[in-house]
Amino acid sequence: MGEDRQTRVADWVKREVLPCEHLVRAWLARSLVSHADSDDLIQEAYCRLAKIDDFESIERPDAFFFQTVRNLLLNQIRHARIIRIETAAELDDLGLADEAPSPERIVGARRDLARVRERIDALPERCRRIFEMRRIEGLSQREIAARMGVSENIVEHDTAKAIKLVLKALRRSSDVAAAEPYLRTRLR
Amino acid sequence: MSRQSAEAIEEEAAEWLARIDRDGETPELMQALGQWLQGDTRREGALVQARAAFALLNDHFSGVDPNEEEAIDAPVRAGTIGRRRLLAGGAAALAASFAGGLFLWRNGETYRTGLGEVRRIPLADGSVAAINTESVVQVAMAPDLRRVEVKSGEAWFQVAPNPSRPFLVETGRVRVRAIGTAFSVRRREGGADVLVTEGVVEAWADGAEGNVVKLAAGNRAFVADDAAIAVAASAPASVDRALAWRAGQIDLDGDPLGEAIEEFNRYNQRKLVLADPSAAGEPLYGIFRIDDPEGFANAIRHGLDLPVQTADPRRIVIGGPRRPQESSRKS
Repeated sequence: MGEDRQTRVADWVKREVLPCEHLVRAWLARSLVSHADSDDLIQEAYCRLAKIDDFESIERPDAFFFQTVRNLLLNQIRHARIIRIETAAELDDLGLADEAPSPERIVGARRDLARVRERIDALPERCRRIFEMRRIEGLSQREIAARMGVSENIVEHDTAKAIKLVLKALRRSSDVAAAEPYLRTRLR
Repeated sequence: MSRQSAEAIEEEAAEWLARIDRDGETPELMQALGQWLQGDTRREGALVQARAAFALLNDHFSGVDPNEEEAIDAPVRAGTIGRRRLLAGGAAALAASFAGGLFLWRNGETYRTGLGEVRRIPLADGSVAAINTESVVQVAMAPDLRRVEVKSGEAWFQVAPNPSRPFLVETGRVRVRAIGTAFSVRRREGGADVLVTEGVVEAWADGAEGNVVKLAAGNRAFVADDAAIAVAASAPASVDRALAWRAGQIDLDGDPLGEAIEEFNRYNQRKLVLADPSAAGEPLYGIFRIDDPEGFANAIRHGLDLPVQTADPRRIVIGGPRRPQESSRKS
């Protein structure tokens, strides 16, 4: 049961959340949140998502994810000390506007995943072969290692390497999006 | 001790997945993974993200087009049912429950709180009750059942686990049962709000045992005396905020001014009055002391640029006509 849920969460995140992650990162960057802090917030937010029982019934997962990150950020600021409304109002002026990416944006985001896919296509040959054998021939890591005449450690290492590359590509794609001011910024 | 970077966590998460993919979910591996996850709350999030990235990779190599896949309709959340719609029939049911409930509480202990008072009470079984402003709560501990009645107001319970001795909270016809968990019950007209902070509880209305709803941590629901149950979408953060009173705080996260004022008025003799209804929807953020409506009004004055009148000791008027000198200063 646990495994089934994990798979469902992973598929749901892949389909609904990953494509908009870079928009949320871009928004964080515009809100003057450092890269390191953004990374932390995003991970915390995924952790929250994973804990929601009926995650599949969330109507707008992109907006929900955005809201989760935003709440985490606000909480972090609040826990630094109890803040008064003036401060919260200033936060809004810095672009912490309560606006989730619009549906058109999400279409844009899907296109942006194309960039991640380009990076996957550019994986080293051995890495690609491993994934092709996994998916097309349904082989296990052990079988792949035997077939390719390499150690299992290499297959495991290359598998991890490909996952790391996708994660990195997702993180980087925000740098491009950060230049697009699609969220209201009202710096006075 | 230096904090691990998110990037390093991300790499480790990828390595864990590759290892699990290689060896399968062996007990040893799962145990080690569990230990890793416990080391930092961000790790679980990174693992979810890595699983999604892995799924994306697998799709890519099996030629799945993500744009096609999405055509499958995602289930649509059933909207939260408005409280008003559930009220019909509630009054009659309430009257009926009143007659039957009178003699059940003979041996109970009764706790009352005054306006603005929040009390934390250790119960005989090791559980803890936090009782909010203007509430009456009666507790009766029997060997086979721990019974609490919220006669009015609101209370939160941290229940000491004991499977052979269920913890039952009654309010009107509404029933909430827990074994070891934490939740709150707030008496409302025609029913009760139930908010769960830990574990799972079961809630239903007396006489409608067939319609029991299970609520997990982060869930909230309105259970009507006439047995209608409206479960809100899971929102752990909002449940925590709604229970900030336990720490003597009101925690606002985009809540409209009108509701924030209602909340303050639950606790204070000196009432806040909104003279400018057009401002009722202004979203507010921040944590305030429950017993400090003056501080809140002050923050409103600065944050929303609304006039605030504090001359009357019985109330504080927010909004309304500006005094001449204020408007002249403005222009």
